[in-house]
Amino acid sequence: MLDPTFTSALSAIVSREALLTEPEDTRPYECDGLTLYREQPGAVVLPDNEAQVVAILKLCHAARVPVVARGSGTSLSGGALPLAQGVVLSLAKFRRILAIDPLARTAQVEPGVRNLAISEAAAPYGLFYAPDPSSQIACSIGGNVAENAGGVHCLKYGLTVHNVRKVRAVLVNGEIVEFGGDALDSPGFDLLALITGSEGLLAVITQITVKLLPEPELAQVALAAFDDIEKAAAAVGNIIAAGIVPGGLEMMDREATRAVEQFVHANYPLDAAAVLLVEADGTPSEVAAEMAEIEQVLLASGATEIRVSENEAQRLLFWSGRKAAFPAVGRISPDYYCIDGTIPRAALPRVLRQIETWSREYGLPCANVFHAGDGNLHPLILFDANKPGDRERTVEFGDRILELCIDVGGTITGEHGVGVEKIRGMCAQFAPEALERFLAIKRAFDPHGLLNPGKAVPTLARCAELGRMHVHAGQLPHPELPRF
Amino acid sequence: MKTAHIYERCDEKTVAGLTESLVREYRERAVTSHAIREQHSHGEGLADAGMPDIVVFPTSNDEVASIVRTCNAARIPVIAFGVGTSLEGHVAALYGGVCLDLSRMDRVLEVNAADLDCRVQAGVTREALNAELKGTGLFFPIDPGANATIGGMASTRASGTNAVRYGTMRENVLGLTVVTADGRIVRTGGRARKSSAGYDLTRLFVGSEGTLGIITEVQLRLYGLPEAISAAVCQFADLEGAVDSVIVAMQLGIPVARIELLDDVQMKACILHSHLDEFAAKPTLFFEFHGTPAAVREQAEAIQAIAGEHGGSRFQWAIAQEERSRLWKARHDAYYAALALAPGKQAFATDACVPISRLTECVLETQADIVETGLVAPIVGHVGDGNFHLVVLFDPADPDERAKAEALAARVSMRAIRMGGTCTGEHGVGVHKLDALVAEHGEAVTLMQSIKRALDPNDILNPGKTVPPEKVRSTTS
Repeated sequence: MLDPTFTSALSAIVSREALLTEPEDTRPYECDGLTLYREQPGAVVLPDNEAQVVAILKLCHAARVPVVARGSGTSLSGGALPLAQGVVLSLAKFRRILAIDPLARTAQVEPGVRNLAISEAAAPYGLFYAPDPSSQIACSIGGNVAENAGGVHCLKYGLTVHNVRKVRAVLVNGEIVEFGGDALDSPGFDLLALITGSEGLLAVITQITVKLLPEPELAQVALAAFDDIEKAAAAVGNIIAAGIVPGGLEMMDREATRAVEQFVHANYPLDAAAVLLVEADGTPSEVAAEMAEIEQVLLASGATEIRVSENEAQRLLFWSGRKAAFPAVGRISPDYYCIDGTIPRAALPRVLRQIETWSREYGLPCANVFHAGDGNLHPLILFDANKPGDRERTVEFGDRILELCIDVGGTITGEHGVGVEKIRGMCAQFAPEALERFLAIKRAFDPHGLLNPGKAVPTLARCAELGRMHVHAGQLPHPELPRF
Repeated sequence: MKTAHIYERCDEKTVAGLTESLVREYRERAVTSHAIREQHSHGEGLADAGMPDIVVFPTSNDEVASIVRTCNAARIPVIAFGVGTSLEGHVAALYGGVCLDLSRMDRVLEVNAADLDCRVQAGVTREALNAELKGTGLFFPIDPGANATIGGMASTRASGTNAVRYGTMRENVLGLTVVTADGRIVRTGGRARKSSAGYDLTRLFVGSEGTLGIITEVQLRLYGLPEAISAAVCQFADLEGAVDSVIVAMQLGIPVARIELLDDVQMKACILHSHLDEFAAKPTLFFEFHGTPAAVREQAEAIQAIAGEHGGSRFQWAIAQEERSRLWKARHDAYYAALALAPGKQAFATDACVPISRLTECVLETQADIVETGLVAPIVGHVGDGNFHLVVLFDPADPDERAKAEALAARVSMRAIRMGGTCTGEHGVGVHKLDALVAEHGEAVTLMQSIKRALDPNDILNPGKTVPPEKVRSTTS
C-alpha cells in the first residue's frame, strides 16, 4: 500500500480515471510478457501529456517512491514488472504520430505508438521503420527504445539503437532532456545510445524521432532445408563470410518447423533437421544477383532442398511460420521458456549441438527458432509448470545455455533485455569493473535509484549473493567480493 | 552557462616526481624533450596552448593501466594520443600532464573472417589495418581522410567520405578494451552482433575523446570487398543543382558509397593542386558505387539521370583503379589544395551537419555568407550525410581577418544548430567546440558533466575537453 497522502497528491495531477489504485484495477499490470514473475503495483498512473509526466516524477522523487515505466507490456524479461510499493507509469496514452518528414526520412512519435503503426503511417511515402520485433503489432516504440529491441531485419538494417535519431525524456527529478539530434551525429557523449536499452532505469521517454528507410523495390526469400542442424548453422556463417548481408537470415529446427506447420500450413519440409529462411532485398537486378549467390552458398553448404518465393504472397507465406513461431509453440506445450543468448556466428554449430544434447539429458524438448544471421538464439524450452520438477530443470537448462553463450564470447541477451529475468546472468557476464561503471552511470542519472529499481543492473552485493548459483568448474565468480 | 576556461598547470614538484619515476620505469619510452612534447601538443588544427610534461609510449594494456593509476593517485592529467590528426584541439595538454602515445600498440590481435570482425590495438592506423586485411577479401571502410589510428577514430567517433553507406565509428565498433580513470581494465561489448545486456558502455566511450577512459583495444566490424567499384564525377551550373541532386538520390535510397561535394572555389583549388585539368571550376559531385557489377551500373545510371534533371553535365565514369585513386586523392587533399590558394595563410575547418532536408538551404545561406565576408572559404562535404566543411583561410598576421574568419565559423555552427543540425558532424568537440556544445545540448550538458564526474571523479582524463569543466581545475587539494 502506498501512503494515502501520496496517492491523493497523484490524483491531483491526472484525471480521476487515469489513476488506478484498487487491486482489481491494477491486476492487469501485475506482469508483462514474462508471466513467471508477478507483483501488483501500489498504483498505476496513465498521464496523457508530458507536463503530467514531469509532475508525477517530481512527486515520486520528492516522496522517494519508485517508478516503473510501461509501454505495451510485451517485454519478455520482466522489464515492466511492478513493485508493490511503487507506481507504474503507463505511457499507453502517448500514441500520437507527431510528424513524418519524407525528405529527412524521419518520424517523430510518442512512446506509446505501436512499432508497426510507424511503418503503416510511413507506407504512403514508400518508407518503413526497419526494426521489427515479432511482437510488432503490439509492442510500443518507447518499449523498443528502452530494450534496444531487434527483429528479423536487424541483420541488415541494425537494431533500435541504429534507427533512432532523437529521444526526448524526463529525468527522475522532472527535468526534460533531449538526447541525439536531427543530424547524422551529435557532439559530446553518446547519451542517446546510453538511453537506448537502459530498460527504464535512466529516464522516462516522452518523444522519439526514428529513422525511416525506403521500402526495397523487391524482396525475395529462399527457404532451404538441411538434414543436419550443424550444416545449416555452418551455412549461416558461409553466407555472411561470402560478404552477403541478407535482409533476414533466420533458422528453425525440426521441433520448431513441425510446431509452426500445424499452425500456419505453409508446407514447410517436415523431415528436415533445420530450415533456413534467407531474404534478399533491393532492386530487381540486385535481388537476382544476390539470390543466385545465396543459392550457390546454400547448395555448397549441403542444402537438400531450396525453394525461392515466386511472388509476394508466397514470400509472406514462407515468413508466416517464423513470425508465428512463439504462438505455435505455445499450442503444443503447456509452457515454454524463451532464451535470448547471442553468440558469434562461428560458434552456432557447436552451441546448437550442445543444446540438443542437453535437451535429451533433461528430457525437455527444445524448439530453436532464431535470428541466425545475428547469432541471436531463441531456444524455447518446452515444459509443464504443473509437472513437479519441470520448472526447476527448465531454469537450470536455460542457465546452462546462457553460460555456454558467455563461454563462447557471446551475451546473455541479444534483444530482450535483462529485466528481472537475467539479473543473475549479468553477474556471470560482466566483471565487477564493468558493473561498477554501470552503477556509477545509474547514480549520475538517478542518485536515489527510483527508476525501475531491481532490474537490468545487479548490485555487486547481489552478485556476491547469487554467486553460489553460478559456480562453474569449481570456480567461484568474483571471489574478491564479500559474501552475505 | 559560462564555459570560460582558466588553464592551470599542476604543481611542479608533483609533476617532477612523476616524470622522474616514469623515466626510470619506461626509460627510452618516456620522453621529456621539448621537440617531442611540442609535437604531442596539437593535432592538425590550429596550435593550442598546452604541452604535456612528458610523453610515454606504452606497449600493453597493463602499462597503460599502471600509468593511469599513478596519475590518478597524483591527480595529474593523462591525455591519450594516436597520430595527432584531430582538428579541434583534442590532444592539447591544457594543464600539462602525461601524454600517452599509443602508436606502439599497433598489433592486429585477431581477424575473424567468417564473423566479419577483427580486434586491434588502439595504435593501429586504418591504412595499416587494411593492408593487413589484404588477401582476406575483407576491408574496414571508415575513411576520415587522414591515416588516423583506430583508437583515435573510435575516441572521436570519426566518420568520413563513405559514412553514407557504412556508417560512422558508432556503427562499426563492436566492443572495446578501456582503461578507466582508476586504472582498471574494462572490456565492453564483444563479438556477439547484438546485446541488450547492461548500458551501452561501448558507445559511451566511442566519441568520448579520451575523457571517460583510454581506449586500448577495439573490436571492429569488417565488410566484404565489393565485387565492383566505380567512381563518377558530375559538374553543375550552380551549387543548388548539385545539392538538390544529392537530396533526391538519398530520398530514393540509392546506396551510394560516397558522395562528395566541392564548390567552385574548392574545385579550382583542386584543379590547380592535383592537376585535374579535365574539369572546370564549377560545383562538382564525386561519387563512388560499391556492389555487384549490375548493381553498380544501375546506381550510376540512376544518379546520372538525377543529375541531368538538376543541371548536371559532364558525367564522367572512372572504373579503373588508378583513375579512381587519383580522383579520391584529389578529394582527400582538398584541405592542402585550399591552403595553396593563398600561400602564407592559415586555415581551420568547420564541421556543420544538418538534416538532409535542410541541406540546400544551409549550404546556400552559407555560401552567401562567405561572399559577404570577402574571405576565401571553399566548401567541401560528405553531403550524403548532410555534413559539409568550410576551409576558412585567414592571414595569421591580420587580427581583423582572423576575427572575421572566426565569426564566420561561429555563424556556420549556429546556422546548423538552428536548422536542427549540429556544429560537429564528425570532428568532435575537443576544446574548440565547447560553447557550441552548450548551445546545442542545453540540459543534456549537465548530465554529461555528471557522467564525467561518475567515471572520472578526479578529472584526470583529458581534462577541459568534450564537456565544459564544472569548475576550474585545482590541484592543491
